[in-house]
Amino acid sequence: MPASHPHINLSRYRVVRSIVFVWLTVILFAGFLLNIPRISILEHTARNLYFHVPMWFTMMGAVGVSAWHSVSVLRTGSRIADIRALQAARVGAWFGALGLLTGIIWSRYTWYVGTDVWWNFDPRQTMAALQLLIYGAYFVLRSALEEPEKRARLSAAFNLLAFSTVPFLLYVLPRQMASLHPGADGNPAFSQITAPVMRLVFYPAIAGFIGLFWVLYTQRVRISWIKYRATGNAEL
Amino acid sequence: MEAESAEPEAIRAESAKPEAIKYESAESGSVRAGSLEIDALRQWFRGVWAIFLKDLHLELRNRYALNVLLMFVLSSVLVVTFAIGTDPVSTRTQAALLWIVITFSASLGLGRSFIAEEERGTVLLLQLNVPGGQVFAGKLVFNMVLIFFVNLVALLVFTFLLNTRITDAGLIITTLFLGSVGLAGATTLLSAIVARATGSSALLPVLLLPLLYPLLLSVVRATQNGFTGGTGWEGSGDHLINLVAFAGVVITASVLLFEHVWND
Repeated sequence: MPASHPHINLSRYRVVRSIVFVWLTVILFAGFLLNIPRISILEHTARNLYFHVPMWFTMMGAVGVSAWHSVSVLRTGSRIADIRALQAARVGAWFGALGLLTGIIWSRYTWYVGTDVWWNFDPRQTMAALQLLIYGAYFVLRSALEEPEKRARLSAAFNLLAFSTVPFLLYVLPRQMASLHPGADGNPAFSQITAPVMRLVFYPAIAGFIGLFWVLYTQRVRISWIKYRATGNAEL
Repeated sequence: MEAESAEPEAIRAESAKPEAIKYESAESGSVRAGSLEIDALRQWFRGVWAIFLKDLHLELRNRYALNVLLMFVLSSVLVVTFAIGTDPVSTRTQAALLWIVITFSASLGLGRSFIAEEERGTVLLLQLNVPGGQVFAGKLVFNMVLIFFVNLVALLVFTFLLNTRITDAGLIITTLFLGSVGLAGATTLLSAIVARATGSSALLPVLLLPLLYPLLLSVVRATQNGFTGGTGWEGSGDHLINLVAFAGVVITASVLLFEHVWND
């Protein structure tokens, strides 16, 4: 086992990984076992809060990380920055997909109970779907470019152009479309309607899932770098 | 052969200029920063204009992009009307259908400008003779003019075939114009990216459509407001501001990123 890695501090990685695994295990138990106030219709589905919302925070973080490394690709042309931008996008897309899935299933049995609606163009739902489409396009673009240097540069440019539309998705859309999310559209803010015991689990859950993102992302950057060193191709 | 002959003329006039400026400023002795800046600005606009004219000449010579766009708009509007039949359609749906047709035609036709440079092998010539910013601005202006013209045709065909009634023509034209600026802004950089990729024809729609959502949302609502039964200018302000902001953001980002895409 190699003791050192040119781009990753392995001892820090191992420490963070252990902390995250313990942390998330505690979150899982606390999330399912702690007693929460029962609200009609919501009932136990309120526990979805611990998993659904952190997915969004994590995805937005991943989008930021990916864009940051794309800037670095354009400024320095470094290969590891390209690998980092790609892996942040890949792991972020998984979190986005899980966030979308947990949201859709949950809203079907709470907000839209009795209406048979699966998809209702909630602005945040739309935003997440668009971010996934953007990353889909990013991956397709990468696969269409053969030469590694060109692929790094052009896909970074696309990633940043797409990133420039994020403010519209975050701030403009929610004002133009009706939403049932807390804090939107004159709905009560999140802190007013969430029981203290739930917030006790919720905030650590955000930290835990962002930590999980960091672990998965770092791991994939490592693997990708090894593949790149062995084959000259980091995409595999 | 013929297609290439137009370029060197425009570009030769272009590349001769920097010498002239240097000469003048050396002669006058005391260099005034203001006049130099104005000269540089004039220089810049001349470069943009040269690129725009070159593209326009080439386009008018074989009319490929224009024909593709017009035929696409015509045939897709016809398909839409056949599919709908004689059932009444709400103004929202009409506006949505119009912009779906426009978006897809833009994603097919506007990619042409950079792909054609690659095919003719004239990329190197442009890279050597004209600064990247001017190439981008020239192509952007050309794309805007092209898509605005196509949008007008699409609107006319659409209103004719679907019996759409327009109450506020000014609003509709403004919306079409701002929508065209945003569309061209998003498409120009992407088409420069796509031109570098292999098997690029299908790639542009895939890259473009997810970015266009903020534009589509506003443009459809503003168009709907201009049709019969809509609120007109009232209540369209937010949408128009949104369109201006979208075009501004996308064009700014494109200008910043273009050098990295264009230069090898």
